[in-house]
Amino acid sequence: MARILVIDDEHTLRLLYQHELTQEGHTVDTAGTADEGIAKVRDTEYDAVILDIRMPGKDGLEALGEMLAERRNIKVIINSAYSTYKDNFMSWAAEEYVVKSSDLTELKQKLAEVIGR
Amino acid sequence: MKLAMERSAPSALLRDTLTVILAGGQGTRLYPLTKHRAKPAVPFGGMYRIIDFTLSNCVNSGLRRIMLLTQYKSFSLDRHLQQGWSILRYGLGEFIIQIPPQQRLMRSWYEGTADAIFQNIYNLEEQRPKYTMILSGDHIYLMDYAPMLAAHAENEADLTIAAIEVTKEEATRFGIMQVDAAQRVIGFQEKPSNPQPIPGGETCLASMGVYVFTTEVLVHRVLEDAKNTKSDHDFGKNVIPGMITRDRVFAYPLPGQDDRPAYWRDIGTLDSYWEASMDLLQPDPPINISDTSWPIRTFQGHRPPVRIDQDGLHGAPQIVNSMVSNGSHVISATVERSILFTDTIICPGAHVSESVLMDRVRVGEGAKVRRALVDKDVDIPAGEEIGYDPERDRRRFLITDKGILVIPRGYVFG
Repeated sequence: MARILVIDDEHTLRLLYQHELTQEGHTVDTAGTADEGIAKVRDTEYDAVILDIRMPGKDGLEALGEMLAERRNIKVIINSAYSTYKDNFMSWAAEEYVVKSSDLTELKQKLAEVIGR
Repeated sequence: MKLAMERSAPSALLRDTLTVILAGGQGTRLYPLTKHRAKPAVPFGGMYRIIDFTLSNCVNSGLRRIMLLTQYKSFSLDRHLQQGWSILRYGLGEFIIQIPPQQRLMRSWYEGTADAIFQNIYNLEEQRPKYTMILSGDHIYLMDYAPMLAAHAENEADLTIAAIEVTKEEATRFGIMQVDAAQRVIGFQEKPSNPQPIPGGETCLASMGVYVFTTEVLVHRVLEDAKNTKSDHDFGKNVIPGMITRDRVFAYPLPGQDDRPAYWRDIGTLDSYWEASMDLLQPDPPINISDTSWPIRTFQGHRPPVRIDQDGLHGAPQIVNSMVSNGSHVISATVERSILFTDTIICPGAHVSESVLMDRVRVGEGAKVRRALVDKDVDIPAGEEIGYDPERDRRRFLITDKGILVIPRGYVFG
């Protein structure tokens, strides 16, 4: 069981992830904006952060940089509907890159791997 | 349909390379020369600043996309680059751009050489060069980087490290490498206490801190290092040793120039500064700065030619094994094994030996200066003796391990 933060601007997705990951035995916090997420990372040591990229205002790649400034060894899984950011150097700072899908199997599997590292 | 035009080597290699010059070192061991300026901006060789050597190597090699990462006391450096290096054309995709810490990622200044690259990862992302050349702004050497890039590409290397042979004694200050017959690096130790010599020899193969990285590998390794809380975020100490077993790392020995052996100096201390200065004064200097095919560029103000005069009282002026820069005036004085920068005045009967006098230093009548580094704007009074009475000198000035006396900029004799 681990402490997870989900940063995504879509409310329903946050609810879904929270529900699913809580059922897996994790403690799940959520944030609806990049800044809210960064503030949470500042206060709490998460085992992993699931991070959306396209969000209104500050995007996930910028947030990733700021979260690294807070905690250099933070483990982030990028979870975007788009695979285009995979080429962006900044996205390489994440442990994993999982393209969004209605099936959460891959995300859960990568999450388990990342937590285990 | 192919959108990008296929380019052929070698110009493609150069065009597809971004050069990053690390110019942020504090230079504490060069104090007081670094009292008012960053290390790369320290004046050197009569009319240059240290950074001119690396920048000249870049433009002479055809590397013309240059980012300079500055940090401390960068005013002199900024001004010098503006005055002397506003020569590349942005319109042709060429630039020399200075980047002070942006604090985009970290709210701190650079912690180490790898951290400096990490904090500028956005710039790499924007440029997306195939290769990234990482250079240091405080080295004195002449080098054509183009063949090194070609070797990097030919070897399909992830990292190529420029290398020079050093004595075992010197080796403790550098990153020391072991290579196989194909120059592939199979061992790397940063500042080893017991350095491993080249098989069958007495010398060791040292890293010059001059790197060609395949950019994607650089980014991966720097990001990994950035996330390692135990790392000092230094290429030599942390990043490179970890790459030896995982990546294709090659050494590229610095070739000699004409018939001279390879020459490279890291200007880290006042003594190494003085020694590199004296090297320029050897009858056949180990570094040829008068090669017209490899000019060392700098900024020069509009100063008149050197004047050498004789007054009626003190006999003929004597200048031996020395360099004298524009605007200087030597009147019936003796100058031996010394470098006089711009606008110095050496008055009648004065004697200057084994010294470096920077811009506008004036040596008064009958004054004697020996084994000294005198920073700009110092007026040495008539009859003053510097470098002759160690006890008196020690009370007034900093004296290095090798006995070189250093007078800071603007020092006023009381």
